[in-house]
Amino acid sequence: MSRLISLILAFALTGCASSRIEQVREASTGIKQDEAMVLLGRASYNEKQTEESFTECIADALNEGENPIRLIPEEQFKDDLYPWFEPRTAPTSADELGRLFAQPGVQQRINDANVRYLAWIDGDTVTIDSGGSMSCTISTFGGGCFGVSYWEEDASYQASIWDLQTLTSTGQISADATGTSYLAGLVLPIPILARPGNAACKGLATQLRAFIVGES
Amino acid sequence: MVRKFLVLMMILVVPACTTNVVVEGTVPSPLVVKIPARVGVYYSEDFRNFRYQEAIRDAGTWNIDLGAQNLSFFRNLTSALFTSVQEVREPPLTTEEMRDLDGIMIPYIEKYGFLTPSISGLKFYSASIEYRIVLYNKTGKKIGDWNIVGYGKSEGGMFTGDEAINEATVLAIRDGGARIAIELIDQPAVQAWLRREAGQPEVTAEAE
Repeated sequence: MSRLISLILAFALTGCASSRIEQVREASTGIKQDEAMVLLGRASYNEKQTEESFTECIADALNEGENPIRLIPEEQFKDDLYPWFEPRTAPTSADELGRLFAQPGVQQRINDANVRYLAWIDGDTVTIDSGGSMSCTISTFGGGCFGVSYWEEDASYQASIWDLQTLTSTGQISADATGTSYLAGLVLPIPILARPGNAACKGLATQLRAFIVGES
Repeated sequence: MVRKFLVLMMILVVPACTTNVVVEGTVPSPLVVKIPARVGVYYSEDFRNFRYQEAIRDAGTWNIDLGAQNLSFFRNLTSALFTSVQEVREPPLTTEEMRDLDGIMIPYIEKYGFLTPSISGLKFYSASIEYRIVLYNKTGKKIGDWNIVGYGKSEGGMFTGDEAINEATVLAIRDGGARIAIELIDQPAVQAWLRREAGQPEVTAEAE
């Protein structure tokens, strides 16, 4: 009985997030077992930056399953190829790969690690609306929270996949997810979280895996 | 009793108002074409022991020690940047001391600054560092000086404030270093110096 209540509670406390995945393929793909991929979060010096937790979430998802894709950690890749993949020096399009690979040692380092694909992850999760009110009080006779507050988040990410063997762009996958989270105060504050970032991550990772192995 | 309580409160409260950060991070070796020159590098005491202190309203005093990380980073950077590098005393050097050197490089930290989310209103901690790189030729004549600004930012959510400032500062040093590694060799004054050192004729602006 208590298990049933826990299960119902777990479902009830998870808010809804709706997501949409779109894909554009420019070239055929496929990955051998010994080949690797690297995921790089786009960073820029304005107010936006792809969250580290998002690229880690995709990496975790790609590492799971029966046929995990071998991933080179982002930090290791950036250190090995320093200074060519820093925020202000990294290539912004696949057309720049030829120039980059002409730099002494760059192609050798990439070949040594057997990196076949590079996926740039770009985007972020922003709060687009919020409202409601909740107040919490505490006194010698006890305390509690009353009211409801909510916030709507929009997670919008894109993966641009480059083939480091052919030095071309092979396609893009975009993931958009929105969801409204609530914090209801019924003596105890009860969060009902939508987690659109998580939905975008799972959707993007599933599509990225299918794209790389050439299933979609 | 009251006095003991006040002393205890002071001990508990005062350290919370000061954040000490000793910047630490990875020191990658740049993968760049070496500048064909034997260079002496002078690191001043200010550069070696660079510290930054700032008192921020509502965020207390920040003591940021980036000297050791910066020095370690620059030693690695210059070793990868020039054919050979040796650390030298403060210039001017004697003719004998310059015998095996083609020039002298002196890096300075001109400015350092950081922002916390409470100041910037953004989700990130950010840091910036402005370097000035001065190059002298074999005879002590200035070849040129260049100001390079490095930026770094770090998500506040995953780290405590001091860890985030550390991360942002390391990224700012990396960013500045990346610019130096890539851009220094392309500077016209550096190219002219290398041509002179190689015994090639000077290229005039008109010929260029």
